[in-house]
Amino acid sequence: MKKVVITGIGLITSIGIGKEEFWKNLLSGRSGISPVTAFDTKEHFTHLGGEVKNFSPEDMGLSEYIDTCSRASLLAISATKLAIEDSGLNLSAEHPTDTAVCIGTTMGAVQSSEFINEQMVLHGVQQFRREEISKVPTHSTSSIVSRLNKLSGPSMMFSTACAAGNYAIGYGTDLIRLGRAQIALVGGAEPFSKVAFTGFNQFKAVAPEKCQPFDKNRKGMMVAEGAAVLVLESLEHALERGAEIYAEVLGYGLSCDAKHMTTPSVEGIVLCMKKALRYSGITPDEVDYISAHGTGTIANDRAEVAAIKEVFGNRYREIPVSSIKSMLGHTMGAASAIEASACALAIKTGYIPPTINFETPDPDCDVDCVPNVARKQEVYIAMNNSYAFGGNNASLILKKFS
Amino acid sequence: MKDSELVITGIGIISPAGIGKDAFWQGLCEGKNCLGDITLFSTDGFNVKKACEITDFNPLDFIHKRHLRTLDRSTRLLIAATSLALEDSGININEQNTFDTGFVAGSTFGSLHSIFQFDREGLIEGPKYVNPSFFPNTVINSPASQAAIQFKIKGFNTTISTGLCASLDAFIYACDFLRLKRANTVLVGGVEELCEEIFMGLYQCGLLSGLDGSEPICSPFDKNRNGLVLSEGAAVLVLERKEHALRRDAPVLAMVVSYANSFSPNKKQSSGLEISINRALKSANLKPEDIDLVFSSANSTKELDRLEAGVIKSIFGKKVKITAIKSTIGEPCSASGGFLLSSASMALTTKLVPPTVNSKELDPECDINLVTEGGGLSGLKRVMVIGSDPYGNSSAIILQGYES
Repeated sequence: MKKVVITGIGLITSIGIGKEEFWKNLLSGRSGISPVTAFDTKEHFTHLGGEVKNFSPEDMGLSEYIDTCSRASLLAISATKLAIEDSGLNLSAEHPTDTAVCIGTTMGAVQSSEFINEQMVLHGVQQFRREEISKVPTHSTSSIVSRLNKLSGPSMMFSTACAAGNYAIGYGTDLIRLGRAQIALVGGAEPFSKVAFTGFNQFKAVAPEKCQPFDKNRKGMMVAEGAAVLVLESLEHALERGAEIYAEVLGYGLSCDAKHMTTPSVEGIVLCMKKALRYSGITPDEVDYISAHGTGTIANDRAEVAAIKEVFGNRYREIPVSSIKSMLGHTMGAASAIEASACALAIKTGYIPPTINFETPDPDCDVDCVPNVARKQEVYIAMNNSYAFGGNNASLILKKFS
Repeated sequence: MKDSELVITGIGIISPAGIGKDAFWQGLCEGKNCLGDITLFSTDGFNVKKACEITDFNPLDFIHKRHLRTLDRSTRLLIAATSLALEDSGININEQNTFDTGFVAGSTFGSLHSIFQFDREGLIEGPKYVNPSFFPNTVINSPASQAAIQFKIKGFNTTISTGLCASLDAFIYACDFLRLKRANTVLVGGVEELCEEIFMGLYQCGLLSGLDGSEPICSPFDKNRNGLVLSEGAAVLVLERKEHALRRDAPVLAMVVSYANSFSPNKKQSSGLEISINRALKSANLKPEDIDLVFSSANSTKELDRLEAGVIKSIFGKKVKITAIKSTIGEPCSASGGFLLSSASMALTTKLVPPTVNSKELDPECDINLVTEGGGLSGLKRVMVIGSDPYGNSSAIILQGYES
């Protein structure tokens, strides 16, 4: 089977634009949580979130798209631009027909919907500009990534909620292996959403101050935004052009809980991790880092740790399991794409990012969560977990390229 | 027998033309009038008052009352179509086969109404008074995930949002997963509900037929076409590997020959569709003349119809027969691919071609061999389904009849 490797990473996150700033801040345990400014939160129970405060499409050289693109799309095209630059490829000139695009999201251009709704409900506006309406369809995001880069390969939009990034990376890998693309731009994008913020607040699932995965006194998750796009290409293509390789994508597994829309199921998560290992042709003994879904809710953390215990047996304490959501909050459809980038960077640099805000161990979550401080440790095989509303689970396996 | 051979063994449909595949097919072949006054929301302030709304859908026929309360219309439609598809194929999902069964749905606007309603409640009542039990409906994968919960489908669950191509892309994704042996059976389709948000959006973008107050009419490729008629519904097909279907003596409706999807990155939107069609033909070693009938996704809008007619002419010439079922059922957005694939399968089993109704005088730029009178086509062996989306997506899928 054709090998697929990651040769470019583009990130727009609350702790850094671009992989250098992101990685430096991630390893130093910096939090991206700040007061929400996208909308007024005074009527909400909590007031903090993971907004990307210094994101500016102008600085990215994309000002001409501000009027016609949703924030989801702006985040996606910006991350794409950084990823392509990082890869050194000239896609529109050299690979217009054999580059695929796969982007994941939870609610897509939800900020554009919220804007229209607010205009209608609070201000009685009845007429909207065509540009404003055209931002709303979910696939406006995958489409603008393809169009802007002049790519005619398959252009896919995955709406599988908080596991969407991994779905997109996985299918991009499939398309290269199936010979339908030589290169794939894959990842996820999510704008800061009032609907998500309100919903999770009403679920009493949002932490008031900080996200504390695996901590006994955790108070919940943090709503956040961001985007990550990775450049995938066939190994032979990467070698031929002398590209820098971050990691190899070994495979991925999907499963569905088929139980409950919002409560995770241990059975479903176990199945997902086992499929990922099987399709990657490796055993549980070979995994040496797990990037947890780790939202910081009791339900998620306990289910995930129980599942890790079942899959990895006695070895579970030996494997570092960290959650970078402790720093970024939950970037929804972008989360697993950002986390996959972190896995690739961990493999490349030999450092594992920490779980910050860890104070009191939870006996039910006694994994080695790399508490508070990054660790210098070689990673050969990383597993990137993601679980979503609806019981959509996706685990991705990356391997050091040698 | 190649292990990559895939077959369609069941169809479940909730559509304005009928509920269940037989009623749907009869409605299409008769060119049933599906247009009616919109009852799901107020059309005050709009010049257009009609759409293809499903009026005889009773969710209680498919979903227990206790589960129904919080499910939005999209979810109800998709669960109902799934129920019919499973019944049609004779599959019973159980602990033995559930891990080898997947679910893939195309849905782009499926949760839009739920997002707007949830947000509206927050705007009017205040965010502390919003009912959290409706929050799960706001994720776009909610219909597909609820269907998985309802029928306990545990293999995998994927929602694809590529607009008018969503169900076709979902079908392609499902085929890939079967060929990669990640499942034995995949339920695949699409859903979209009629709601005021989509209606308003299309209305204000000038895409609906009857904007001037005249009776809306969907007349694909017609010289006087003036826009689309909004529709809704859900279609789910049961797709499995041939050997799996034969082992369980399943009723095979059609076989998958090949498929491709691509994107048009430039103003000349035809390039992507050309690539998709040519790749689908090439990967099956077929020539254009090997296709007996094309199911077009033309929806009576100026650009899309012209685009599809132009590409069909350039690849197939003017001989190949073309039909556009949206003339009868309207534009159900993400569900349209499911309806197209279902009718293509039905055409192959019944050797009937559904007519393109309403199209009386062809646009000179769309001078194709349009089937305006339905009827039998005895030699019907292989059909192509195509889809195009205004944002640039395009897909092509070739199916052929099954002979044991």
